Amino acid sequence: MRSSFMGSSTGRASGRGLVAALATVALIAASCGSDDDSSGGTTVVGDSSNTTAGVDSTPASAGGTDVRELVVARDMDVNSLDPARAYCDTCQIYLTAVYETLITVDPSDLSQQIPRLATSWEANDDNTVFTFALADATFADGSPVEAKDVKWSWERLSNVKASASYLMDGYSSIETPDEKTVVVTFEAPNSAFLPIVSAPYMGVSNSDEAIAQASALADETAETDDSAEPFFLENSLGSGPYQLESYTEGDALVLVRNDNYWNGTPQFPMVTIKQVKDSASQLQQLQAGDVDIAMQISLDSLSQIEGDPNLNVSTTDSYNFVYIAVSPGAQGPGGAELQDPMVREAIKLAVDYTGILDVTVAGNGKLQASPIPNGFDGSADLALPAQDLDKATALMAEAGLTDGFTLDAMYPKVNVYGVDFDVMMQKVQQDLKKINIEVNLQPVEFPQWIDAINAEGIPLTAVYFAPDHTDSSQYPGYFGMIDGSPWSVRAGGGAAGAPIVNEKEAPLLSKALASSGAAKTAAYTELGQEMINDLIFFPLVNPQLVLASQADVTGNLYSGCCNLDLSFVGIG
Amino acid sequence: MKRYILGRLTVVPILLIGIVTVAFCVSRLIPSDPLASIVGERQMNNEEIVNAAKQRWGLDKSVPRQYVLYLENLVRGDLGTSFRTKQSVVADLGERIPATLELAVAAMLFGGLGGVVLGAVSASKKNKPADHISRIFSLVGSSLPVFWTGLALLFLLYARLGWFPGPGRLPPRTRPPDHVTGLYTVDALLAGNPKLALQTLHRLLLPAFVLGWAIMGSVSRLVRASMLDELHADYVRTARAKGLRNATVMRVHVLRNAMLPVLTILGFAFASLLTGAVLTETIFEWNGVGSYAVAATRSLDYPAINGVCLFGGLVFLLANLVTDLLYALADPKIRLS
Repeated sequence: MRSSFMGSSTGRASGRGLVAALATVALIAASCGSDDDSSGGTTVVGDSSNTTAGVDSTPASAGGTDVRELVVARDMDVNSLDPARAYCDTCQIYLTAVYETLITVDPSDLSQQIPRLATSWEANDDNTVFTFALADATFADGSPVEAKDVKWSWERLSNVKASASYLMDGYSSIETPDEKTVVVTFEAPNSAFLPIVSAPYMGVSNSDEAIAQASALADETAETDDSAEPFFLENSLGSGPYQLESYTEGDALVLVRNDNYWNGTPQFPMVTIKQVKDSASQLQQLQAGDVDIAMQISLDSLSQIEGDPNLNVSTTDSYNFVYIAVSPGAQGPGGAELQDPMVREAIKLAVDYTGILDVTVAGNGKLQASPIPNGFDGSADLALPAQDLDKATALMAEAGLTDGFTLDAMYPKVNVYGVDFDVMMQKVQQDLKKINIEVNLQPVEFPQWIDAINAEGIPLTAVYFAPDHTDSSQYPGYFGMIDGSPWSVRAGGGAAGAPIVNEKEAPLLSKALASSGAAKTAAYTELGQEMINDLIFFPLVNPQLVLASQADVTGNLYSGCCNLDLSFVGIG
Repeated sequence: MKRYILGRLTVVPILLIGIVTVAFCVSRLIPSDPLASIVGERQMNNEEIVNAAKQRWGLDKSVPRQYVLYLENLVRGDLGTSFRTKQSVVADLGERIPATLELAVAAMLFGGLGGVVLGAVSASKKNKPADHISRIFSLVGSSLPVFWTGLALLFLLYARLGWFPGPGRLPPRTRPPDHVTGLYTVDALLAGNPKLALQTLHRLLLPAFVLGWAIMGSVSRLVRASMLDELHADYVRTARAKGLRNATVMRVHVLRNAMLPVLTILGFAFASLLTGAVLTETIFEWNGVGSYAVAATRSLDYPAINGVCLFGGLVFLLANLVTDLLYALADPKIRLS
């Protein structure tokens, strides 16, 4: 009975199956040495020289020649593809390629605004009224871009109350005197608005189609009743050089050329932003020719690809930075001691800034004076931080803390811009030990960190920042000890404490927003100095970025407003 | 048998509600706020934006009310909308389950079949070189962490030697075949594109091997031990006394009877592969359920977490049921009741 419960043929079939399976494996391995042969080829030879970002910022155009599909490797962080709700680094790339803004920023010069949908723009003397004249542009469906589309898009951005809605804070009206003129009026001076208009989140949608196809709302009811997001995850309604083809979360964001593009012929028939999680994998795929651009190659890996004749590799300064911050109002161990400014200054002086640059990004970065990053208005004339252990020790003694104290340091366990927070915080721990401060490191997941810092503050923490647009106002607005700013609350101990306010900063910000040119720069410089004097933030690393692509790829430039502007990318 | 199956299927919804309830409660107990992932860190102090997000995602309601609403939607087959992907969790899982299934089936071929073959070889060549080699091979596979094996093999076979393609289910610059099953190898064949089928199969080999190698050790050890036990049974002595060749005795009698306990481990190994291929999926950029689960957990995406738990529970319940049924089919002495 038992011997017959399975037919004997099964055993032979298993044996044959195994042989067949092994043979199939061997056949596949032999026949698929490369599976890219249908791709149009990715093997690239050419320029081995390292170029500097910003040499050529001319938008790339096909000029009648079709090239291969562009593949960009990136660890994507897409939170939405709805132009009014998207708010992430990858969203900046997507929105820039699909939803054009009225003006944009020259990737090689942060202060240089260049036209897109607007042919000209002007602000009145007190920076309360901004007037834009629109170009004869068309959306991807061929319909003209009109003033009503700009008004609708910006009102929707404001009214959905999503993450980027704050960009429209303070406007009182958007007028459209004719089809090609847009007039935006603010309640108070806002010299930041023109740089803000260049932010990808300010892109313009085809309002008629958005209303007809997606039932999108732009009025006050948008906050509660707008349900257009699913539509925008599958469709796009912009005027940019590319359109959305498909998006699969965790896999790829595929763009296709806008054949009706009004401003030339986009170079690539298709652009795929491929999800590639880590730097090592991006590097391997770039070297293998599977991708054309790798966006997050770590600075540690630079030596592995520098000099590779098949690749175009360079580094460029970024506007991102990593910092530590203290919260004098925090409830945890060390919070009480931090209320003494001498202790905070001692911490500032005890940190080995150049050492941290070396251990985190192998020296491929810069020191930064204040929360306004290098390259932004107000950053140039401030003194860079430096270690002074003698003075730090003396300050601790003066504060009556010669024996030191214990300081809780909760921070998000992340690796951003090539900076591993664990490594960085271990170095900070070593540095502060020299003035007898015992740092208790607590790496946590990001949501847990946010919860903790907003609830009761964290005595010592580490975070990072990348700009949303190219105006300096975002820094005092976030880092300033100004009533209502996120860090004013956090430094004061979160919801459980009382906000810390520096009375000088709000008027300085107002002054900067009402100024232009040198006066604006002077106001932001003064604000930067005030933020240094607050002794709340100690910027540690302003890292460089690695720009890595196949040798024939041109225009792979870091853009302060948009991360990567695909309209500049081409094949040389 | 029918009554048994019906009886087992009847308790499935009850068990699933239990799983969902536990997942719901545990995710709410984590001391973090999912709003941080929804509105972003910079806007967490903006009351207007935070309130709008709470209202939009139903987080302004009390936890018991959220639970009741979730169950009401669940009855309608609606698992909610992911905070992170902004798509329905049903659609998200529908995209990812075929990817995981394809990987799990291939890994089972390596791990399950390979483990049985190695175990059988070990048992029949006990204490001989073939036994030692197969035991070492399977032991190494179970001992090495899959992330290390995956990274090492990718580095060697893809980046250095170029014998295997890189991570991902499809070659670069290639669109997926028309969706029929979601299994790219099958869909490519159905679309009449054998070249793409071969390419996708080629991409499947490395992750499937890495995953399969990890379970090969436990399968082969169990097969070896079971076969050695069976070798001492009376019926084997009888079979040999009848003059049957050793190979026939091993294959027809010993291996088949030794497979009974192996069915259990294979069933659960398959369920584990379907729900726990997290590291392999991450390393090989395999957009399956495992990587979805990790991303959901990290961003405290409640609907997605519950959806993944529900899927995992369902898989294990079904695997358990199928294993029981196979037991009954394999051994008529076992009566299901």
